[in-house]
Amino acid sequence: MRVLVIEDEDNLREQVVARLREVGYAVDATGSGTEGKYLGTEFPVDVAVVDLGLPDLGGIQVIRGLREAGRRFPILILTARGRWQDKVEGLEAGADDYLVKPFHMEELLARLRALVRRAGGWSDSRLRCEPVVLDTGAQTLTVSDAPVELTAYEYKLLEYLMLHAGEVVSKAELTEHLYEEDMDRDSNVLEVLVGRLRRKLDPERVLNPIDTLRGRGYRFRLPRTG
Amino acid sequence: MLSLNARLLLAASVVLLGFFGLTGYALDRAFRDSALVAVRDRLQAQVYMLLGAADFTDSGRLVLPNGLPEARFSTPGSGLYAGVVDDAGDTVWRSLSMLGMDPVRLPVIAPPGQAVFSDLPGYEAGPLLLLNFTVLWERPGEQRRRYTFWVAEDRQVFSQQVDGFRRSLGGWLLAAALVLLTAQTLILRWSLRPLRRVAQQVREIESGARAGLDGPYPAELRPLTDNLNTLIHHSRGLLERYRNALGDLAHSLKTPLAVLQGAVDDCQDRSFRQLLDEQVGRMHQTVDYQLQRAAASGRTALTAPVPVAPVVDKVLNSLAKVYADKQLQQFAEVTPDLSARVDEGDLLEILGNLTDNACKWASSRVTVRASSLDGRLVLEVLDDGPGIPAARRRALMARGQRADSQMEGQGIGLAVVRELVEEIYQGSLQILDGPGARVRAELHA
Repeated sequence: MRVLVIEDEDNLREQVVARLREVGYAVDATGSGTEGKYLGTEFPVDVAVVDLGLPDLGGIQVIRGLREAGRRFPILILTARGRWQDKVEGLEAGADDYLVKPFHMEELLARLRALVRRAGGWSDSRLRCEPVVLDTGAQTLTVSDAPVELTAYEYKLLEYLMLHAGEVVSKAELTEHLYEEDMDRDSNVLEVLVGRLRRKLDPERVLNPIDTLRGRGYRFRLPRTG
Repeated sequence: MLSLNARLLLAASVVLLGFFGLTGYALDRAFRDSALVAVRDRLQAQVYMLLGAADFTDSGRLVLPNGLPEARFSTPGSGLYAGVVDDAGDTVWRSLSMLGMDPVRLPVIAPPGQAVFSDLPGYEAGPLLLLNFTVLWERPGEQRRRYTFWVAEDRQVFSQQVDGFRRSLGGWLLAAALVLLTAQTLILRWSLRPLRRVAQQVREIESGARAGLDGPYPAELRPLTDNLNTLIHHSRGLLERYRNALGDLAHSLKTPLAVLQGAVDDCQDRSFRQLLDEQVGRMHQTVDYQLQRAAASGRTALTAPVPVAPVVDKVLNSLAKVYADKQLQQFAEVTPDLSARVDEGDLLEILGNLTDNACKWASSRVTVRASSLDGRLVLEVLDDGPGIPAARRRALMARGQRADSQMEGQGIGLAVVRELVEEIYQGSLQILDGPGARVRAELHA
């Protein structure tokens, strides 16, 4: 998942960015509203965290600008004031959820996960494509009720594919959303990763959960059941 | 205190009354005096006429012919009487008009050649105005004799004349006063019209139909209207600046708190982390609570009424996004065209906090009701969650209490709402029985 963080307070931004990277997000971060709006418009962002009290371009204007540019990814606003007027203004401008400062980092992570999930059309934190069930809250995977261990990258890959279950996801899109700019974009890495994931999900080769469409990308083909 | 209109009208009326009173008195006096002079002149002329007509008999007795030129002397009870008295005081002659009447007693006998004009109010047939004139009459071979000629007129003639004049004078003066008072009233209305327009526009500003005073005003009023406009802008701007300042303060206090919170979450030492976590939480709550209290503006004279339905919709739409996962059914039951004189920010704060709680606890539906009752704004937020046990209700509304500390949230929502409702809007906040939780707020707005 690719997160855009727009927060002008350096310490707080670094904390948030560090924690998001730790749990496997690709992160773009800035302290400027203008730059944030540019990043949000030009980059394949999955979810954004926007502080309302930005020094140059206010958070509300950033959100409005992004929505006017046709960007539909979910936005979480951070607000210091906690007044309903600010929250309502932010939500009306196009944000999807709010968090009042100060906040627990786990709370922020939970809200982001929920927003991403909802944007993919999932209403429950457990993504069910029976018999594959990915619990985005506990970050665990079960296949036919049996737990399966995944590495952080495998988890990120599967989460992205399942969030977009039924849709074709190109290799380029996957690398963009899963890796930051400076990461290795060698498509072999992705192929190896998908291969490993297939073996873990379907050791007997009966489910065949992930299609490979030549020249187009991958598709998680088990139908959504949750 | 008397209105300007009443003051001016009262003063003008008193002045008019005084003026017309004095005028009336002076005119009355002048007319009376000149009427008396006219009577005297008339009587004098009659005396001269009698003197001319007087003659002596051979025996030396003074006589007057029966056919006097003035017919009233010959008609009994005509109101014009005459007589001649000799030096002994005996009546020598009296006119036919005095037939059957008592003799007139002359008050003063003047020296010869002088006329005396006098009022005889006591005459039994009615008051008279009387003029007597004494002459010395000398006939060849006789002693000089003195005769006093008198002519009297019934006073009623004079009185009727004066009364008639008074009546007509009174009528005219009254008519003039009425015309002047009417003119005065019209002038006042016209002159005070700009003031009434200011009052009307101020009312419109209060009711929110107008932003400031406009239109040309007379030079005398312009300092007032200009200052009022400045005041209105200033007070609106002041509130805005005040809130922005509070917002900046919140931002600069809470962002470091957020950093601290982040650092706490990373801390390895468990007991230290717990301690810091608690203290940061307390600081956060204190800052939040005090800032939200301070930001509450309440109702001022210049608060325009806020339509309630759009605010309810805003809150419900916003919360529908936040609680999208719960797929709640939302119901807004707002009296059509309901508006209340509250600050929109305050109303958002009250409805936002109450509805947020309801959404948090609801299992499938949340209802927001708004209506007005005896001039108060009544807000009710209901959910179909587990409800709040009576024992916990009081504690819940105390400062910083949370219904369930497992539930995320600031925990000061209800306390802020209670402060707003009870202290800023002199209303009441109650938690009522319902299928789920039912919170009712009544505001004086």
